[in-house]
Formats: sequence, C-alpha cells, structure tokens
Amino acid sequence: MMYAKVGPARFISHLDLLRTFGRAARRAGLPLAFTQGFNPHPKITFAAPLAVGIAGEAEFADLELTRKIPAPVVARALTGALPEGLSVLEVRLQRGSSPPLMAMVECASYRAEAKACGPVTGEELKDAIASFLSRQEILVERKNKEGKKVLRNLRPGIFEMSGKVDNDIIKIEAELKTGSSGNIRIEEVMEAFQKTSRLPVQGGYALFRTNLYTGAGKEKKMLWQS
Amino acid sequence: MDFLDQILPLVKKPARYAGGEWNAVRKDWESVEYRVAFAFPDVYEVGMSHLGLQILYDIVNRRTDTLMERVFAPWTDMEEIMREHGLPLFTLESRRPLLDFDMVAFTLQYEMSFSNVLNMLDLAGIPRESGRRTKGFPLVIAGGPCAYNPEPLADFIDVFVIGEGEEVIGELLDILIQLKRRNVSRQELLLELARMPGIYVPSLYRVFYDEDGRFSGIVPSLEGVPEKITKRVVKDLDRAPFPERPIVPSTEVVHDRIMLEVCRGCTRGCRFCQAGIIFRPVRERKPETLLKQAAGLVRSTGYEEISLTSLSTTDYSQVRELVKSLLDEHACQGLGISLPSLRADSFSVELAKEVQRVRRSSLTFAPEAGTQRLRDVINKGVREEDLLDATGAAFREGWHAVKLYFMIGLPTESDEDLDGIVKLAKAVLALGQKAGVSRGRLRVTVSVSSFVPKAHTPFQWEPQAPMAELQRKQDYLSKRLRERGIVFNYHDAGLSFLEAAFARGDRQLGAVLARAVDLGCRFDGWSEHFKLDRWLEAFRLTGLNPENYANHRYAYDAPLPWDHIDTGVSRQYLILEHQRALAGRVTGDCRTGSCPGCGVCGALEVEPVFAGGDWDGGL
Repeated sequence: MMYAKVGPARFISHLDLLRTFGRAARRAGLPLAFTQGFNPHPKITFAAPLAVGIAGEAEFADLELTRKIPAPVVARALTGALPEGLSVLEVRLQRGSSPPLMAMVECASYRAEAKACGPVTGEELKDAIASFLSRQEILVERKNKEGKKVLRNLRPGIFEMSGKVDNDIIKIEAELKTGSSGNIRIEEVMEAFQKTSRLPVQGGYALFRTNLYTGAGKEKKMLWQS
Repeated sequence: MDFLDQILPLVKKPARYAGGEWNAVRKDWESVEYRVAFAFPDVYEVGMSHLGLQILYDIVNRRTDTLMERVFAPWTDMEEIMREHGLPLFTLESRRPLLDFDMVAFTLQYEMSFSNVLNMLDLAGIPRESGRRTKGFPLVIAGGPCAYNPEPLADFIDVFVIGEGEEVIGELLDILIQLKRRNVSRQELLLELARMPGIYVPSLYRVFYDEDGRFSGIVPSLEGVPEKITKRVVKDLDRAPFPERPIVPSTEVVHDRIMLEVCRGCTRGCRFCQAGIIFRPVRERKPETLLKQAAGLVRSTGYEEISLTSLSTTDYSQVRELVKSLLDEHACQGLGISLPSLRADSFSVELAKEVQRVRRSSLTFAPEAGTQRLRDVINKGVREEDLLDATGAAFREGWHAVKLYFMIGLPTESDEDLDGIVKLAKAVLALGQKAGVSRGRLRVTVSVSSFVPKAHTPFQWEPQAPMAELQRKQDYLSKRLRERGIVFNYHDAGLSFLEAAFARGDRQLGAVLARAVDLGCRFDGWSEHFKLDRWLEAFRLTGLNPENYANHRYAYDAPLPWDHIDTGVSRQYLILEHQRALAGRVTGDCRTGSCPGCGVCGALEVEPVFAGGDWDGGL
C-alpha cells in the first residue's frame, strides 16, 4: 500500500498509526489479519518509521488480509474510512516471493519549508547549504539504547541537499540514508543546519518525506516502479 | 504557512492540538447561527475519554443552525509557546480563537480542574469575571457534577446548567438563538436564561455571610429569578439522544474504546458518593437498544473494545444476557468487552470470566472500608466473605493481579478499621498463594484515597479528617503493608484537602482560585504540577483559611452554600441517612423494591427504570 500522511495526520505516532489503520480496516469491513496472543494487533508493517510531525507524501506499508480481495477494492474501502490527512494512494497485491519493504528501503527524499522572518536570498541559502555540506563531520548527540549520549556523524548519510527561496518561504530538499542499515533523521539534519546557517526563520521547519527509495544517489530506484 | 503548523512540531504530543480525527465534524462557519466551543479543563487524552462531550457534540452538530467545536487545556509546554507568541486558545476543528464563538461551555468533572478553567479563559483572552464580559464576549457556561456546588466558580461563569446536559441543551440553544436575533444586552440575556428550569445565573443572586465570614444565605436579587434551581433529568434514557458516530481519537486516550452507557444512576446508596445522589433515579437502557447501539458503534468507530459504562455495571438487570449477546455477535471480529469495575461477589467474577473469552484485563474491586462496621456506616453493601469469595474465584480462574480500592478518613474511622484494610489485603494475598499463583506474578494492589465530603450527600455535614491525620493514616498503612506481593499506593493528602475545601466551598473561594491561578496553579490533578504551597499562599493572601471549609462540621440547621441547588433528593432523607450511618445501620437498595424514601421520584416526576422482567432477548 502506498499512502500519504499529511495535514493533522502527520502528528499520529508510529504506534497510533498501526491502531488507526486497524480501526479504519474494521470500519471499511476489510478482514485484516491479526497477530496471536493476549494483545492481538493487525499485521501491518511499515517500510520506514516516520517521526511525529513529519508529513509523508508517499509512504509504504504491507498489510495482510485473511482472504484475497482485489487491490482497487481495498484501496477504495480503506480511503473512505481514514481520518483527515491519511489517504491510500495505491494498493498492489504482493507476490509471495517479494522481499519485505523494510529490507528494501535505503534512501528517502525530504523537503523542509520555513517562513523567513528576515531577508534571505537564494544565493545566501545556496551558500549556507554548500558550507554545511563542506564539513567533514556534522556531529549530533543521540541517546543510545542504554540511555548514554553518543556522538553521531550525519554527514556521510546526507546524499543530496539543495534549496531555493520562494517569496519569503525557504524550501530545502535533501536525500538521506534511511533503513535498517543506518538511518539519518531529517529533523536532526535541519537542526544542525539551522544551528550553523542561522537563517532567520519563524518557528521551525515544516518537514515532508516525499519518497522512499531502494539504492542511493544515482543508483536509486523508487520503491515501486510504476 | 499556518503559524500553528510551525509551532506544533515543537511541543510534546502535538496530536492533542491537531484535530482531524475520524468522525470529527467541521461545519461551515457561516452556515450556522450559533457557535459553541466545548471546553474541557484538562488535556486532550482525558477530555476525549468523556462520554458527555460526545453526547453534546452530536446533539449540537446534528442541528442545522448550530455548531460545536472542541478545546482542551493545553499542556504546560504548549501554554508557554502560546503565551510567548500571543497565540490565543483555539478550537481543534476550525482553529479559530474562542473569542469568535457565541458560547464557551465548560464541563466540571473535578474540583481540582477549576484552575484550568480560569487559565483557559486567560489564554482565550476572555475576561475572567463574568461581570466584565459584555455582549461581544462569548457566554461562558458550565455543567457537570461540580456544578452542583457552583459557588467557588460563581464569579467566573455566566450560567450553570444543573442536571443532565442532553435534557437542557436544545432548549437553551433555541432561546439563545432568539436572543441573539433580538440583539439583547448581556444583562437582559442572563435574566431571560435565569427563568429557564435547571439554569442558575449566579450574578443574579446575593450571598450573605455572618460575622465570622461563614456563609449564611443566598437570595435572588431580582424578581423572576428562582430561589431554588432544580436539576434537569432525562426521563427515558432509551429515547435520549445518543452519539452514533463518536469521534475516534487518532492518538491513544485514557478510555480508548466504545463507551456503551448501559444505565445512568445507581441504586446502592453509598453515603459518601455524590454521583449516587445527583444521577438519581437509576435508568437502565433496554438490552435491545444497547445491542443496536453497539452494532452501530462498532461499524462507525472501528474500535476493538466495548466498555459497558455506568456507575455500577454489574448491577445492570440484564448484564449477563447483554454480555452474552454482545459476545455472540461481535467476538468473531476480535472485539473485546470490558467492565470498568466489579461488584465484590462471585457473580461478578463469573461475568468477568465470560468477558475474558476475548482478552484479559486485571480485576478491580472497591470494598472502600476495611471492617464490616465501617462498611455499614458508609452503606457499602459488601461483606468480607463476598470479597474473599470473589478474589479467590478470580485467582482460581487465572487472574494473578487484583486491585482493591479503599477510602481512609471516613466518618467514625479508627485504627481498627485501618487494621481491617491490612487484614483484608493479606487475606486476599493468601488466597492467591493458596490458588497456586506463582510468587513472582501474584500481586494485590491496595489503592487508598482520602474521604472528601461532598455537597448533597449524607456526609455533606461531616468534616474531612485533618491533613496531618490523613498522612498519619497513610503512614500507618504503609508500614503494615510492606509485604512481597502487596503494592500500596495512596493519593496526595494535600490534594484531597483542597478538593474538600472546594467541594464544600462558597463564593468567597473565587478570589482564592484567581490568586492561585495567578501564582501559577494549573493541572492540579497531575502530581507533577500540584503545588500545595502555592494554594496555601493563595488562601493566605485572600485572608481565608481552607480548614474552615475542609475540616468544618456543619450543623443540620446551618445554611449550606449549595442549598439553592436542588437534586430532588430531600434534605430529610440526607439527615436520616447521616443518622443511620452514625448508628451503623444500613439502608436497602432501591432496586429491591423497598423504597428508601429519598424523594427524587416525587420531586422530579420520574421513576426508576429497570430493564429486567419482560425482556427475553431470544436467549
């Protein structure tokens, strides 16, 4: 399933999203498969978790039904049962042999938008990005599983970054390493960028994940070939 | 770019402010004549667990000429950002500021949410004092259980609704639309509303105090304003409006399930319980009505669990048949049923076992007091053998955790009664061991709250035990309940002390409340935010003593600040019940047919409604 999670729905957390899809399927009358055990939950796996607050314009998830239902029927039924901001873009029947989505994702593209509260030119933005990318190391602190603070270098996971200024809106696009072999968070990248660039923006950056890819850089391919 | 969208990523749990949930209604602002903001003075997760919100939201939005949107108390991180940027309090649906609405309607579920009411008015840019709100400002109304002693909030609320909201709201909106068309002054509007049954307009009353500053009376200050305000009550719950498409939150809330209200009111007559008085008489829904409602709710919400809600669900006449029918109809879809709390008897455990056909939850019982003597005083009809039977059965049926709720500081309580709590807890633990529950998993949780005397109850004249004494009792229990397998927890005595002051407070407490909010009090029900010192400082600055409210014993003939609010239950009955309590005499359940004579049926022209008898449900 390819879906969008925008507007108010971007504030739905990963765990709540599972519940939301489960309830939507029930409203739609779709026979979702459930896990066994005391606390059964619907069998839905997301391609790549998305942090609360970030909009997803082309997100992916596998869902398992207990019987075969034509993909367009699933898409239509589910779309009519989702809360504001969640919509199903496309559903495809998954062949038994294809690898799980989670294992395929290697890269994601993002867009960050903020309103400038002072004069910023396109040149200044380009320079700021160039100087940001010219650094060997972009270190951020992150807590590991044991709760200890560790330093991480974001720079190798930033594959692309560019930007433009549209009237007073700053728009930045980036491609970041994503998936189980290493994950760079757009919110950390933008925080680090804001710290060094000191561009005059109002509030924070609104963040959008625009797509997920397998492969990276020039090799990258859309998760679903149309 | 919307400014709100820029700040939401900066706060914790932004879903609290995002809106857009399933079944939320966003109406065209211009298409209606009258606009209401429903204000819940606590966070989203608590407010969205409140059935009353869903009922009123449905009624108001079903009409073509009105709309209702929701607003909750912003958590402190959000409040900080809102104040920093001058962002006024807004509703979830249209994100409009509260000032744009015709009415802001608060629900008062708990005294310790009063500070949030004032803080929300502040954040909305609405003057706190009703006297300062002229025609251009929203009308601020309030209802719910705490409206039965409205005086502490009398300075800040224009209109209180006494009784069940669904009974009043339609009529109230009709009148308000007429008055809006006539473009009347605020004063004229209030006078008009004061004539409506169940409506209390505090600014139209004069309050008197004696030389010690104690409340001595309240009288209407204008002609046509009633001396007593009698509660409004739904006579036929089966036909009462009911939300078929409740909002389904996108983030987990406290009660994240279908709330199927099986009945309203309770026949038990526990003498400390305010809900037991103000929701009289008991009105049960018919099982066929409930089954139809449940089926519709499963379709419209997609929830995976139905909670059978009421003050005492295991007392519902047809509870077993209802549970069985619900399971037969919905269990195949993986749907669970939950019972909020259980009567302490083996019937309840059997029922819980049935429910458990789908999924398992822990079992909770509320014996409330540790000895039979004290349980008789409070008229809690639970016998020790019932509780031991019930918990023993629970352990044998495979539960390994049991929760027991008690109250301390009850009238006539002595240390012997506290020993009784310890004895009971240990006896229950022993039953668990005997049933073979493994040592590592066996758990008996003893949860102790402090008695708070509430208005309109047989214990309304009783003082609360002094705070130091409550703490001593907690300490006493804590020392004796240190045992593997027993978990002891208790509520902050300071919080219960303030709750008691406001539960029986008079109009003078308005000044204390305003001071406390200025000193930073909010979210008092949340232990991380409750600061007793600030409240005591607010009392000191106002020249009032909270002990004069919380720890005061009223004489039967003393005027009470809530005397003008009429629940339909007679004062004579409350006095009689109080005397019977002190004599340790129990009073029968009105369900059994022997009428205890509370007077509500005659006063309000209502009758208790039971679902038992002629229904066979096809079982």
